[in-house]
Amino acid sequence: MSAVLLDNRRSRHAAATGVKAKNYRLRRVWSEVGCLALAAVLIVWTLAPIYNMVMVALQSHNDVFTNDIWPRQPSLYSFWIVITEGYWYLEYFWHQFGNSLYIGVMTVFFTLFIASLVSFSVSRMRLRNGWLLTNAALLTYVIPASFLAIPLYRIMQGYGLGNNVWSIIAVEVTFATPYAIFIFQQYGRSIPIELDEAARVDGASPWQVYYKIYLPMMAPALVAVGTYALLLAWNEYLYQFLLLSDKRSMTVPVALAQFLNSDESPWNYMMATAIIYAIPPVVIYYLFRGRMTSGLTMGGVKG
Amino acid sequence: MKVPTRRSVLRGAAAAVAAGTLVRPYVANAAAGTATVWWTQGFVPEEDAAFRSIVAEYQKASGNTIDYSLVPFAPLMQKIISAITSGDVPDLISHDVADQAIVPQNAWNDKIVDVSDIVEAQKSEYHPTAYLASQYYNNVKKQRSFYFIPYKTAVVPFHIWIPLVEKAGYKLADAPKTWDAFFDFFKPVQKKLRDQGMRSLYSMGLQLTTTGPADGNNLFHAFLIANGGNGIVTKDGKPHLDDPQVKEAVVKSLTYLADAFKGGYVPPGALSWNDADDNNAFHSKLMVMDFDGTISTEVALYHDKAEYNAIATLGLPARNDGGPNAAQLGVGGGFIPTGAKNVEVAKEFMKFVIQPKVMNSYLKEGLGRWLPAYPSLVKSDPFWLDPSDPHRPNYVREGLIDQTVVNYPVFNPGYAEVNATQIWGSAEADVIRNGLTPEQAADKAFKKIETILAKYPIVQS
Amino acid sequence: MASVSVIEAGRPVLGRRSLLRTWRGGLQGSEFAWALAFCIPYVAVFLAFVAYPIVYGLWLGHNPALYAELWQDPIFQMTVVNTIIYLAVGVNVKMFFALLLSGFFMRRGWWVKGLLMIYVLPWAVPALPTFISIHWMLNSQWGLLNNVLWDVFHIDGPGWLDTSRWMALGAVIVSYIWKNMPFWTVILLAGRMSIPQELYEAAEVDGATGLRRFAHISFPLLANLYLVCTLLSTIFTLGDFNTVTFVSGGGPALTTHVLATIGIRDAFDIARPDLGVAAVMTALPLMIPLVLILMRKLRTSEVQL
Repeated sequence: MSAVLLDNRRSRHAAATGVKAKNYRLRRVWSEVGCLALAAVLIVWTLAPIYNMVMVALQSHNDVFTNDIWPRQPSLYSFWIVITEGYWYLEYFWHQFGNSLYIGVMTVFFTLFIASLVSFSVSRMRLRNGWLLTNAALLTYVIPASFLAIPLYRIMQGYGLGNNVWSIIAVEVTFATPYAIFIFQQYGRSIPIELDEAARVDGASPWQVYYKIYLPMMAPALVAVGTYALLLAWNEYLYQFLLLSDKRSMTVPVALAQFLNSDESPWNYMMATAIIYAIPPVVIYYLFRGRMTSGLTMGGVKG
Repeated sequence: MKVPTRRSVLRGAAAAVAAGTLVRPYVANAAAGTATVWWTQGFVPEEDAAFRSIVAEYQKASGNTIDYSLVPFAPLMQKIISAITSGDVPDLISHDVADQAIVPQNAWNDKIVDVSDIVEAQKSEYHPTAYLASQYYNNVKKQRSFYFIPYKTAVVPFHIWIPLVEKAGYKLADAPKTWDAFFDFFKPVQKKLRDQGMRSLYSMGLQLTTTGPADGNNLFHAFLIANGGNGIVTKDGKPHLDDPQVKEAVVKSLTYLADAFKGGYVPPGALSWNDADDNNAFHSKLMVMDFDGTISTEVALYHDKAEYNAIATLGLPARNDGGPNAAQLGVGGGFIPTGAKNVEVAKEFMKFVIQPKVMNSYLKEGLGRWLPAYPSLVKSDPFWLDPSDPHRPNYVREGLIDQTVVNYPVFNPGYAEVNATQIWGSAEADVIRNGLTPEQAADKAFKKIETILAKYPIVQS
Repeated sequence: MASVSVIEAGRPVLGRRSLLRTWRGGLQGSEFAWALAFCIPYVAVFLAFVAYPIVYGLWLGHNPALYAELWQDPIFQMTVVNTIIYLAVGVNVKMFFALLLSGFFMRRGWWVKGLLMIYVLPWAVPALPTFISIHWMLNSQWGLLNNVLWDVFHIDGPGWLDTSRWMALGAVIVSYIWKNMPFWTVILLAGRMSIPQELYEAAEVDGATGLRRFAHISFPLLANLYLVCTLLSTIFTLGDFNTVTFVSGGGPALTTHVLATIGIRDAFDIARPDLGVAAVMTALPLMIPLVLILMRKLRTSEVQL
């Protein structure tokens, strides 16, 4: 059908001559100009706060409070201080960075593992009344994350997880999993159930079906959800602030917040720290961008 | 790969859940010699280093272990509240504003261990205001007792950039010696400097804020006392809001502060400043004068001698009626929440800290940002009144030699809630932004205070 | 039932329902045990970190006197209004522009792809430093925005965050849109890309272009997705703590707080955890219907083409 349609279209365009063609070209020019204008606006809009971050990081301490819009004497000194942990708030920077990374990776792993198991069980194995579980998962969002801070603090102490990065991992997994289950269920609809059936007929156990068929076919969705979970953990502030207090168990956002409460803060160091902290998620996002889009496109996210 | 059978997966899953429920929460400090301690992180690294060295000293001398966490000011407040609410508390806590924000309410609810033995042992050494600040009212036992072990004190001095004053052609020594006039001195300084092209320069950094927790309240109370309204809450815990002298003092304070802001002498951002913002603004020379607690403003620049010496630290001018002024003395100390697992070691450690020699060396190493709780120390150790340091002598005089008064929450825990809900900051905002007259704002504030204090009736036995 | 070739397996799902209908309902014994075992990890997580905290939270906030105290406080009343505005304006403006921009990003061209890569940056960069950066940009004395206004236009910019509640709230909403719009744009873009090209071509033959094409083809197919995204976004936004805290700090004078931040303030700054929990519980009458609607939406099957 498409070939015929395309032919029709081409012949219509070929038939359009003179005024019609000129109008068409004019519209196209305007639309191109409009697009470029929009692109310019988008670039300024997107990059303004980020430019400010970079500018402050490149300035010297006193220049931060001047009225410049360019850094007068840009220098990478702040970054050097952060990397060498040369300021007392940054004493354990790499250790804290490692904590953030650890939390991120563990969050991704457990979210993917737990959510994919549930989604497999409920939609592939068709657990009777499994919808109860996935709907109950949504109850997690009835009380948004920041609201549960107070009860969770007490509970984490009770579980013996006080001042322990695992408390954060537990919290992040809890809040990422329902959304993950949702994406997996949507995406899983595009994988024909016959594959599972064929495997079962061949004598595979459910675990093998899960491991050898389901997971590989779900790869794009796994990447999409994994990136989402990582960014969720990386963006988290409140829980890390409440549940981690020791300099060695802290994460970078909490360390950054120290700068805000001090009497004399080198903002340039703070922004340099923030930029270094921002690098992993940005890198990971750009690495997996392609697979992310396909993970959200394929049969999934149709609502 | 070994194929996991259904049975093994089930077993594994069940075992994991079972293990989770059986995990012993938080290994109890069974060993007699370890205490968990939460301590406020200093504002300069030297303070933390000083703390570490006294802990090391104590551990060596006693054989006990101190498991400490140095937590920054704001997060520590949140941790303390969460801990006391949940019941899972450390053995010893020291927070810089505990005397105003934490101890009053929790002593009221009998959630703090009585430490009379420790404080009374040093009664002769303690500054009378500090000694007073260690006693709080317990509503369960219906009497006042000692719940707080002070080891440091602080007051709020003025911080002024000398170069800016001189650039405007004035001399700091010419500044008037009474309260309002002293503040007025800086207004023409601003005008002269603006004329010289300093576009964003303001004369005073008044913390007219509702964020905090401390600066906004400190500022207003200083004005209140300077206008003669110190009797707003008295030693017996009773409020005196209907006292005409108090009401007049409140109205005068609100009027002056609002007029200063509306006159453009205060940075507009001051309405949302937290405790660190005014210091940062002062460092960036946004204003000529700042009224902020302790000498942390100067000490932060300790390693930049030129800047360090360019700031003047001044004590309080006289009251507006000419009488001698009194500074509010903030008292820092330790307290032991009930439910602590190792009260003995906590007490031993505090006893160690409040020995004169230990207290002195700890605070000295912290660059003198906090003052000792014993007046004798500033007389015996030349460090404190050392005339070669431009800041310490005036600060010490204001805190330990001149007259001081206790913070109001010590008398009545309801006032801690008054501070926390930033009633005075809201009153200032009412006059500045919402168009109320100072009298109306004062009445509104009084009503709120009455409601709060009514929850804390003190029956003095 | 013959196995399906891998190529066919990759096509978007169309008409799956007939096959699904023939799937055997109900599980045999051993399979049932497997299915249960797979669910146990999440059930454990749910009970330990969702059910228990919610119950504990409800218990902390069960005293009706707390709610009376809250409602009498003018700050709280302002907070409720702020939250409603934040949700109504913030979420909807953001989703609307996300929808429009998702259409824009469908265009072909390498520069569009490059632009998309830059555009997504706000989502990838962590929240804390970017919001602090925005807070500083809006500083009336030395912030970038006022510096630019002065240097380029010789306008003395106002105090964006200091002067008026509405300007500060507006700044918060704009920051929120800045940070979150890219994420939803990508989701909607993915949704658009799953609409088969044939539909568009058929429409063009019939003479529909531009706006009409959008109204008759794109929008009906995206409608359900758009609704689900709006619901999810509302739920996430209600719990958003970072934006208000770091951009406006609740200022000036406590007038731009939202329920999430006032709850934390009450709990920790005023040392009244019970009041804090009560403050956030007042959002329940809004949350529960939202979640129920979301659950229904997610249960229904895919949109029919």
